[in-house]
Amino acid sequence: MRNNAEINALVLTGYGLNCDVETAHACELAGARAVCVHINDVISGAVSLEDFQIMVFIGGFSWGDDHGAGVIQAVRMKKNAGDRIIGFINQGGLVLGICNGFQTLVNFGLLPGMDNDYTARTVALTYNDCGNFRDDWVNLSINAQSPCVFTRGMKNMELPVRHGEGKFIADQKVIDQLIDQNQVVCRYARADGDLAAGGFPANPNGSMADIAGICDPTGRVFGLMPHPEAYNHPANHPDWTRNKHLRRCSSADEKPPLSAAGIRIFENAVTYFRA
Amino acid sequence: MPHRLEIALKNELFDAEGAAVAGKADAYFGIRVQDVRAVHIVTLDADLSPEQLETVRNEIFTNPVTQVSSFAPLDLGFDWCIWVGYRPGVKDTPGQTAIEAMEDVLGIRLAEGEGVFTSKRFCIRGPEISQDDAQCIAEQLLANEIIQQVRIFSRHDWDPENGVGIIIPKVRLDHKPTVTPVSVDSDAVLQQISDARNLALNVNDIPVIRQYFLDSEVRAQRRAIGLDDPTDVELEYISQGRSDHCNHNTFQGRFHYRDLSTGETETIDNLFKTCIQEPTRQLQAQKDWVISVLWDNAGVGRFDRDHYYVITGETHNSPSNMEAYGGAITGIVGVYRDPLGTGKGARLIMGSYGFCTGDRDYDGELKPRLHPRRLLDGIIEGVRDGGNKSGIPTPFGQVTFDHGYMGKCLVFVTALGMMPATVAGTPSEEKTTAAGELIVMCGGRVGKDGIHGVTASSEIFTENTPAGHVQIGDPYTQKKMHDFLLQARDEGLIRFVTDNGGGGLSSSVGETARFSGGCEVWLDRVPLKYEGLDQWEIWVSESQERMTVSVRPEDEDRFMALSEKHAVESTVIGKYTDSGKLHITYDGVTCAYVDMDFLTRGFPQWEFDAEWRSPEMRGLYEPVMGAPRDYNRLLTDLLARPNICSREWIIRQYDHEVQGTSVIKPLEGADRDVNSDASVIRPVLTSEQGLAFSQALLPFYSAIDAFHMTACTIDEAVRRLVAVGGDPEHIGGVDNFCWPNIQYDPVRNPDGRFKAAQLVRSCRALAETCGVYGIPLLSGKDSMYVDGHLAGAYGETHKLSAPETMQFSAVSVVKDIASCVTLDIKCPGDVVYVLGVTKDELGASEYYDRFGYTGCNVPVVDARKHWLLYKDLHAAMEKNLAASVHGIYRGGLGVHLAMCAMAGNLGIRADIGKAPGAEGLRADHLLFSETPGRFVVSVAPESREDFASMMKDHALACIGEVTKAPRLDLSCGAESLVSVPVADLKASWKAPFGQLV
Repeated sequence: MRNNAEINALVLTGYGLNCDVETAHACELAGARAVCVHINDVISGAVSLEDFQIMVFIGGFSWGDDHGAGVIQAVRMKKNAGDRIIGFINQGGLVLGICNGFQTLVNFGLLPGMDNDYTARTVALTYNDCGNFRDDWVNLSINAQSPCVFTRGMKNMELPVRHGEGKFIADQKVIDQLIDQNQVVCRYARADGDLAAGGFPANPNGSMADIAGICDPTGRVFGLMPHPEAYNHPANHPDWTRNKHLRRCSSADEKPPLSAAGIRIFENAVTYFRA
Repeated sequence: MPHRLEIALKNELFDAEGAAVAGKADAYFGIRVQDVRAVHIVTLDADLSPEQLETVRNEIFTNPVTQVSSFAPLDLGFDWCIWVGYRPGVKDTPGQTAIEAMEDVLGIRLAEGEGVFTSKRFCIRGPEISQDDAQCIAEQLLANEIIQQVRIFSRHDWDPENGVGIIIPKVRLDHKPTVTPVSVDSDAVLQQISDARNLALNVNDIPVIRQYFLDSEVRAQRRAIGLDDPTDVELEYISQGRSDHCNHNTFQGRFHYRDLSTGETETIDNLFKTCIQEPTRQLQAQKDWVISVLWDNAGVGRFDRDHYYVITGETHNSPSNMEAYGGAITGIVGVYRDPLGTGKGARLIMGSYGFCTGDRDYDGELKPRLHPRRLLDGIIEGVRDGGNKSGIPTPFGQVTFDHGYMGKCLVFVTALGMMPATVAGTPSEEKTTAAGELIVMCGGRVGKDGIHGVTASSEIFTENTPAGHVQIGDPYTQKKMHDFLLQARDEGLIRFVTDNGGGGLSSSVGETARFSGGCEVWLDRVPLKYEGLDQWEIWVSESQERMTVSVRPEDEDRFMALSEKHAVESTVIGKYTDSGKLHITYDGVTCAYVDMDFLTRGFPQWEFDAEWRSPEMRGLYEPVMGAPRDYNRLLTDLLARPNICSREWIIRQYDHEVQGTSVIKPLEGADRDVNSDASVIRPVLTSEQGLAFSQALLPFYSAIDAFHMTACTIDEAVRRLVAVGGDPEHIGGVDNFCWPNIQYDPVRNPDGRFKAAQLVRSCRALAETCGVYGIPLLSGKDSMYVDGHLAGAYGETHKLSAPETMQFSAVSVVKDIASCVTLDIKCPGDVVYVLGVTKDELGASEYYDRFGYTGCNVPVVDARKHWLLYKDLHAAMEKNLAASVHGIYRGGLGVHLAMCAMAGNLGIRADIGKAPGAEGLRADHLLFSETPGRFVVSVAPESREDFASMMKDHALACIGEVTKAPRLDLSCGAESLVSVPVADLKASWKAPFGQLV
């Protein structure tokens, strides 16, 4: 699986997950071959994880998010395919969890995966402090020191959030440890780049330490609440109609043209295998 | 033995759910609450060992980081504890998913009769809270008695051992399914039976029904299979099929129209045929992008060579009026089944909403079942959960307040889908059933929920309306079915697919069997939620999340295997035949045997008298008002009016970016907080082509003339599309009528004839305006009887009728999304144009309404003139000549210049006296007239000449320019009118609902 070989991405579907089409599209834009696979085909073994380099736990409302977002998906996957998924990671595969997928990874224990333990639930994503589902674009500050494979070379990024349960919490000790080990990959920030410091709506959910996404110590398992696959085209950005005119009436470097920046996360995953 | 597990957030964590309850108790009722903690309860009515209980407690129900849980009551401390649980038979989706998870984790199957039920209790602290306050919080905030039960405990009567007790809302019917024959001795007897059984049979239909069952040949055929008098199954089938909801008797009626001002009379035979069907057929012949209209669950238009879009709109008024959340979620999830059931099945790509309620802050004497504020909260949440959990973006929506909607609220829901042009080598829009194919029911199970939903919405809401038809939609179950059916479609396994909506199997099987010419249905095979349903109940139940599919016998195995993989229940419940009969059996015994064509033959047309009295005859006139002096305060106050002000709190609750297709979002501008004219999505991710969508709702003008209400509504929807870049040569429309009762009755409906005339005029405007704009009506629905009887201060009741309302949805393609434009002004120095003539048309305007006037000069659409303007503007936008485009809608030029400035966070300096038509118009009229056909456009100085030359055939004027200083400076000639910081305008515009999240 080097250089010109095809990089295969498994996009998990079924049971109320719903970001399959755009996540598969994002993988393809990044140069991978994407296959949408039903959860039950992973569990039954009809589809083998060995045929893939990248596995994406996508957004949506698995099992309606009843009993906690991502909880039942995590329980089912852990019970019926847990060893295979941990094996996939240990053999060098990349795992990305977006929104409901992130919630699933933390309930499974794949994140934060401290001390090589991929089964312990030590962090949680719970109800937004604002008390409601919220759709808005956020600014993310990306930790360049993080081992995260998916965010290499990135400093900041704007992405949409769309969730009711995205508040990241854990014991302060765990938070400190995540920060120390650079497992905190991205944090909510203000438009000027400074961290949100808990301020709403820059931090849309009240996450501790403005945490929007974390990785495991290897950097190969990454989960985040914002949706990189929903920024797959410059026109997804809320400023795109303004941007082309603002470039007319402000200096060129002030308003660089927009790109489909969310795709870089997927490109980094593909590049990781091609490098 | 049942077990009750209580789960709560750890004490030190913020409880957002509890905080929301506390906030509302204070804001809505002035009850001072210190703190609310929510406890989630899972009642396990199953035989489980202590080890098994611990396993599910730890692995499924308790998050070790955030939660604590216990099989004994949690000791949280409170002044009042309110428990809320569902009534028996109400959909408890979390209970169902809990079973799925438990069975998996424990590796067991729950036994027959075992179950899991979820409920909540709220621990409320506040020493000042009285018993009455607690009662108020329980009834007005936490529970709706129609679907929920409540128990209230004070600190003193709480038993820490037993807690709320063990409550198991299991349905036990103890009833043997029975088919009952119905006497057809006389019209009177049948009428009595209709009343007693809530069949809502029309008086004129009764003799036709009797005649059929008394016919000697019919009798002989029936005797041969063991039937005599009609059964209740048959009468329920006929009642459903003949209901106004399914059959559109009103629109297909005969109208005797008299214009009392001219004395002219006219008979219109069938409004649907003359104003909707025929004009659309003619346009279909001219426009090759119209793929399929007027027969399927939704209309189909061509998006590009390989993709078709699908669109339809619905309302769910009566159920939402009873149970706002349940009614609304059932409405949105239900309308999503229409595209899924169009052609061989379409993938859902977006939805939208329109809510009409009484004033959110109503504090008058009338006592609606649910206060408008609570009603609105509920319907917002219902459509939110229904859309978000379906994974379908909701990028457009509208909310309209009017006192008339106190009688019955309106909940409009619209759905768009996308399907490939061909499916397994055949045209995707075509489908039929054939004898020998299997009738398969997919999705949810059947219960008593939803029985008589169709007939209830065909009646005016009274205290006696049965509550049994209120349901709670389940997007999770439906999403699984959606994914399954699309895969089955792509494998060529679906011959026909349709939704089980109003009327349940009765409608879906009845309608699909017309294609093959008959069917046999084995009702005993239909999977039930619980035993004890009568046969007729199984046949007409509207239990949600079900589709009916026709499958060839040779495809059955593959279809069922796919169904199982997707965890969807599918059952063969009969087969299609060509016998000419609808034949239903239960355990081998026939319980219905009716000619397939019976519902479409021989029923008398409904008749209506319609009397039009012109506004002048009704005594309407222009108010006598002097010009105002304080325009700053006037404009600032108008922006804060309920029908103008910001609704950001609703929009942000709706996922408008799932599927990654967002191009023009519902909120745009520098701060992303001002409403866009329309939404644009890019539904095929590999294409640069867009789909633009807009809606308009202007019921206010019906106070003067529903003809102009309708024309203005259509014009606004079209203008909204044009403003973002939609192609005026390709516009599809969806009409959704919501009308009060039009059947005259001297006592109960004395103005019925006038309302009937309004409907006739509205339909004519629909045909005329769509004719000029070239809009085929891809889909449409009507919901009549939007009236209610509300109790007043002394126990007396008052009939309230909603204003005659038509929501119009418009859809268009955008060839290249790069040419899309938003409303926000963008660069200082850009010039500001007004396009279109402003006239003295303030009748029923927001401005007049501010002072309690109606007036008489209703806005009039000059469709031919507008149409040419729209085409040229579109051409200029395709050349990227406009920096911003915004239609001038409710509130007029003043309000909408403010919108452009607020969106751009820049200023506008303009002389509105230069606007086309300004001569002879007073400044306040110029600022607030609602004349249709107008836009505000900003243009870069270097594009000015090109723009003006492309628009030279139209009324346009440059009235000013964009300024860096964010201030709205409007003058009229030498007179300065408005000079306000844009931030002040925005603050006022956001003030009314700004505290809501």
